[in-house]
Amino acid sequence: MKFTMTGSQWVGLGVLLSLLIFAVLGMMFSPFSISQQDLNAVLDSPSAVHWLGTDHFGRSMLTRMAHAVGLSFALGVLCVVTSSLLGTALGVWAVWGGKKVDHILGVMVNILLALPGLVVVLLFAAIVPGSFWILYLAISLVQWVEYFRVVRAITQNVIHSPARQSSQMMGFGHWYQFKRHIWPAIVPSVFTLAAFGGANAILTMASLGFVYVGIQPPLAELGLMTVELFPFYSDAPWLLAQPLVVIALMVFGFHLLAGKRV
Amino acid sequence: MSVLLKLTNVAVFVGDTCLLEPISLELKQGQPLTILGQTGSGKSLLAQAIMGLLPDTLSFQGDIEVFGKALTLEQRQALWGRDLVMLPQEPWHALDPLMKGINQVAEVYQHVQGKSQNDAQASAQQDLLDVGLADSAHKRPGQLSGGMAQRLAISAATAGGAHVILADEPTKGLDVSRRDGIVRLLQSRSIEGSLLTITHDVAIARQLGGSLLVMKQGRLVEQGDALDVLTNPQNHYTRELIAAEPKSWPDVSVALANKTTETVLVAENLAIERGGRTLFENVSFSINKGEVVGVVGDSGCGKSSLGDALLGLLPVSAGLVTRSNHTAKPYQWLKLYQDPPSAFTSSVSLGTLLKDLVDLHNIAQERIVPLMTRLNLPESILQRTCLDVSGGELQRFAILRALLLDPVFLFADEPTSRLDPITAKDVTNLLVELARETGCAVLMVSHDPDLVRKTCDTVITL
Repeated sequence: MKFTMTGSQWVGLGVLLSLLIFAVLGMMFSPFSISQQDLNAVLDSPSAVHWLGTDHFGRSMLTRMAHAVGLSFALGVLCVVTSSLLGTALGVWAVWGGKKVDHILGVMVNILLALPGLVVVLLFAAIVPGSFWILYLAISLVQWVEYFRVVRAITQNVIHSPARQSSQMMGFGHWYQFKRHIWPAIVPSVFTLAAFGGANAILTMASLGFVYVGIQPPLAELGLMTVELFPFYSDAPWLLAQPLVVIALMVFGFHLLAGKRV
Repeated sequence: MSVLLKLTNVAVFVGDTCLLEPISLELKQGQPLTILGQTGSGKSLLAQAIMGLLPDTLSFQGDIEVFGKALTLEQRQALWGRDLVMLPQEPWHALDPLMKGINQVAEVYQHVQGKSQNDAQASAQQDLLDVGLADSAHKRPGQLSGGMAQRLAISAATAGGAHVILADEPTKGLDVSRRDGIVRLLQSRSIEGSLLTITHDVAIARQLGGSLLVMKQGRLVEQGDALDVLTNPQNHYTRELIAAEPKSWPDVSVALANKTTETVLVAENLAIERGGRTLFENVSFSINKGEVVGVVGDSGCGKSSLGDALLGLLPVSAGLVTRSNHTAKPYQWLKLYQDPPSAFTSSVSLGTLLKDLVDLHNIAQERIVPLMTRLNLPESILQRTCLDVSGGELQRFAILRALLLDPVFLFADEPTSRLDPITAKDVTNLLVELARETGCAVLMVSHDPDLVRKTCDTVITL
């Protein structure tokens, strides 16, 4: 299986990697902590000390942005890994496990699909406000359905293909059939879904932060920072712009990485 | 006799590579012209060049005269439908799957000929009556058989009034019994104009008569009157093509002397149902070791289902399949597929697939090379994937994989129907020879009664 990336996919990967490097370096080397206040220097414009300025409590924006980007990436990657593994495994199992398994999984998926994704996440977030892990759980729970449906549809064709039938008749086991027949068929779609899923997870977390049910202060989170800095949009527009631009860049990066649509 | 179509030194290139060497031909009124050759001989390129349908990546040289005038590409395209028409390969793929048959024909009358809606419907009705589709006029293409869909496609294509018809493999994928009808229909449609047919099937060339061009790898090798060329071929390649027709194969089955009586498989009163329809009932037979059993019948009669049922891939609705050989492992009951590329995964090279098999069953390495030589498989194909290998090579590779497992029973589901005649002959003969040598029983399904009669010991007709 050869992975050839187009130019725009490289650009997407480049954008994401630079943001990640920014986050890692910012978290490691910044002399300020995310909650360290300096009320003598509120809403400062970028300077030699505070490269990205300070917010309304005089906290270093660079430090806060680095932590927020790091948090978003962590959630995005965790959600993608969990939901793609779960969705792929169940999708293949639904086809392979026979009618009964397919039926039960189908009912489960239909229930999840009937609920709007953001509402499910909101529901979970309301149970344990401010918990990163509950957000992760809720977003993964919503996202695996996509993988399940796509993988199941593709696997259904592969299972009935002469190629797989022939391998089975020659005595090859389930793992071999998955590795040689199913995986090569589903990997492009799973990869595309994963890229979109990463962007969606980040957007969902930011939306929750924006309505104050996601990550709680004083932690730095992109949606939360947006809403906190919102009152100062005329005094310090460069501050409000920072989380917004970064969210847009992350989503842009993931969508470029996805390449063509499924 | 007026010349309808005249080609002077027409050649097709991709970049600097010549795909079709300069060729000149004349299509005269009432005298059909047939181009005969294997896949990859550039036949279809020629038809596309005449129509002006060549893909942009290909360039084209030479002059094409239609009705005595040299026309440019745009001028030729203006003739589409009204004067010049091409039936694409497998015309039923060209039909609208969601539209009733009669409407597809009426549409042509209405929009190409400019008739009123009622007149168009009436003309379409008459057309379908002429081709024997009156009862199926309101069915959608998916509900028609291959032959019926083909007749519908021909009606729709010729409804525009064109009399110069280019038919590219018009009978691909059809049973022998349906083939003759299609050829007759094409002949009657082109009676006022002319017919240019592209085919790999010698029988069609013989049936159409007229003049004949034989092509090989983009080059014209022989031309002349069809009957002359076919009865007295001058070129080596033409002779090979004619000899590859199952009808003229030597009888292999009589060559078998050392028949054993050890049965491999017994089927009693088999019946198979699919989609609520009984395909066949009360079929009983037994297959002996090293025996080649042929199954013939029209498409849709359950030939392939029978084989699948014997292998346990499909349930039988009645009857019993007994495997008499109890020592054989499950993986020694195998199947050869109709469409070789679909029977392999393209994710890894053929060499990797072979290695997988060798590792799984601990097959001795030294068995591979002699068998590959025997099957005429070059070492180099092991580095390629199934997409970069020709159909014939791939089918022989499939036979190689099967034989390495020492099969006791092999179900060959039309193993050569997607292959060129010359390749098909080689593959069939090899399969039968090797099966007899190794004592493997073969159930060979084919839509060609001649092929089965020439190669099989016993024939089951469904």
